[in-house]
Amino acid sequence: MTDTASSNRARASRAKGVSTRVAVHGVLAGYTLIAIFPVVLVILNSFKNRRGIFTDPLGLPGEGTFSLEGYATVLTQGDFATYFSNSLIVTVTALFLILLLGAMAAHALAEYRFRFNTLLGIYLILGIMVPIRLGTVAILELMVDLNLVNTLLALILVYTAQGLPVAVFILTEFMRTLSRDIKDCARVDGLSEYRIFFEVVVPLIRPVLATVAVFSMIPIWNDLWFPLILASGDATKTVTLGVQQFIGQYTVNWSAVLASLSIAILPVLGALRPVLAPAYRRHHIGRRQGLTPHHPEVRRSVRTHATRRPQVLWRGQGDPRRRPANQGR
Amino acid sequence: MIHGVDLQIKDGEFVVFVGPSGCGKSTLLRMIAGLESITGGDVVIGGEQVNDIAPADRGIAMVFQSYALYPHKDVYGNMAFALRHAGEDKAVIEDRVRKAADILGLQDLLKRRPKELSGGQRQRVAIGRAIVRDPEIFLFDEPLSNLDAALRVQMRVEILRLHQRLETTMVYVTHDQVEAMTLADRIVVLRDGRIEQVGTPLELYHHPENRFVAGFIGSPRMNFLAAERSGDGTTVTTQGSAPIEVPVSPRDTQGPVTLGIRPEHVELVAPGAGDLDARVLVAERLGGETFLHFDLGDEGDFVVKTDGGATHQSGDTVGLSFPPEALHLFDAEGMAFAPRERHALIG
Repeated sequence: MTDTASSNRARASRAKGVSTRVAVHGVLAGYTLIAIFPVVLVILNSFKNRRGIFTDPLGLPGEGTFSLEGYATVLTQGDFATYFSNSLIVTVTALFLILLLGAMAAHALAEYRFRFNTLLGIYLILGIMVPIRLGTVAILELMVDLNLVNTLLALILVYTAQGLPVAVFILTEFMRTLSRDIKDCARVDGLSEYRIFFEVVVPLIRPVLATVAVFSMIPIWNDLWFPLILASGDATKTVTLGVQQFIGQYTVNWSAVLASLSIAILPVLGALRPVLAPAYRRHHIGRRQGLTPHHPEVRRSVRTHATRRPQVLWRGQGDPRRRPANQGR
Repeated sequence: MIHGVDLQIKDGEFVVFVGPSGCGKSTLLRMIAGLESITGGDVVIGGEQVNDIAPADRGIAMVFQSYALYPHKDVYGNMAFALRHAGEDKAVIEDRVRKAADILGLQDLLKRRPKELSGGQRQRVAIGRAIVRDPEIFLFDEPLSNLDAALRVQMRVEILRLHQRLETTMVYVTHDQVEAMTLADRIVVLRDGRIEQVGTPLELYHHPENRFVAGFIGSPRMNFLAAERSGDGTTVTTQGSAPIEVPVSPRDTQGPVTLGIRPEHVELVAPGAGDLDARVLVAERLGGETFLHFDLGDEGDFVVKTDGGATHQSGDTVGLSFPPEALHLFDAEGMAFAPRERHALIG
């Protein structure tokens, strides 16, 4: 292969790399816009008065339309603080129970050999296929019998049951990939089975726990169905239910609805952070790896390596036609 | 599955379990450790039956193939973990960890996390974690198989030195017969959950009790040739050779036998002057030594190890001479005939 031919080919592949990257980023940016648009719209309009919302729904809050009346209504009318804390209590407690019980069940299924292990596993994750709302009537009857209607405990129990199947499923699969040796080592070190779970297994599965937490949290936080049915009393209303008071039969206080929704978004964003943070960190550690990460030379070479790698993979694996060129070089 | 294993390990001994994968050597080790339940029989450590005693209370420490370091703890934390858990005094822990780190050259790595260490360093931490516990028995489960070849040799020597220094009983599992030969005071060869032979490395090399051990110990493996018997049953011919008298105790005169000879014991002579003539198939030159592969018909590969200066080419015909004292004879079940004299080194 001559030098010019190879450099032409290199230039062509570089150009192709750039155009591919532009296309990929274009698609991702478009998707991000679509996903973020409604959220931005809600937040924008929560800072407008009623007239502003209806005359120019897409406009920025400005003179004549900017108003905090929605937030004022939310914070003074009704008991929004109580609704918010109800939502928090229910979500946090249910999440804690889902993660604790789910991880323990997953550990048992993945670690111990016993009769009916597989059968039990299938039974525990069967709930993925059966929507819990099908059992609403039975659940309501049960809660009435247990005298739990209009308590937060009712919601916590229902949400725990609702979140467990997916949690058990994801965590079991992940725990099967954990090294057996490390648990045996802890056994030789004298840890009880419970301490092995809490001190060895849980630290190892933290990233997965965070993922499961977010996946379980969002449907709980957003749910309207069970609060409406099981806990519609004023003292046990959740945020989603509390917002309903601004939606009357004849008039809807949009400023207040949007303001309360804006506030309700905040905790979800907060919960996403622990999941996004490891991904972000991993991205940066990938660049820093090496024995002397602070040496500028190493840094530079590592960085080029890290940024180039996806392209190489693309060429080598995705497109077999490129292979002869690679071998020739 | 382990069947009827009856083994006694002396205090301070270095015993190696060796065998092909799936032979039960790891299972046996895990039984000693208490990680595998025992359905029948006893494990006795220091005169005490420990079948129902938890691993931590058996006075053992174990080093795993995958190192099994706690990734969220630094080297110090890993080494101190068991002692901290046992409620040991802080100063004592510090002292013991420092001592172990000194032995293994880990002083500068104590603040590192496992993922910041190389394979050899990780394995050293794993061994250090075992030393810190000051056990009566060290158990090693294929500790070197994740390391590259050069590091493996280096760590092998380190483990040997550790044994000389600590004089603690060590039980070591490996599938690598070179590791077994170099490390062991005694080797236990296992197959399908049964002990095939127990002995010092040289005993196993010179006087294998059966064909499996003969083929497993030694590299390249022993050559086997089908043979016919005459006389008192210890004079054999193979491949149309002249009768060879094998110096073993006669047992019977009937039934097929197999003749075994190690590649390093075959002598190369002029064609017609040895017991057999054969054509060289391939010559593998390693520099210091040369492996000649011969085609002996149905017998498959026949290997001769000779010195690096050998000039034999592929296609040459060579005479093979079998020194009688280096020959092994196996019956149809693979059991070896007892040698008339033991090897001088074994006594």
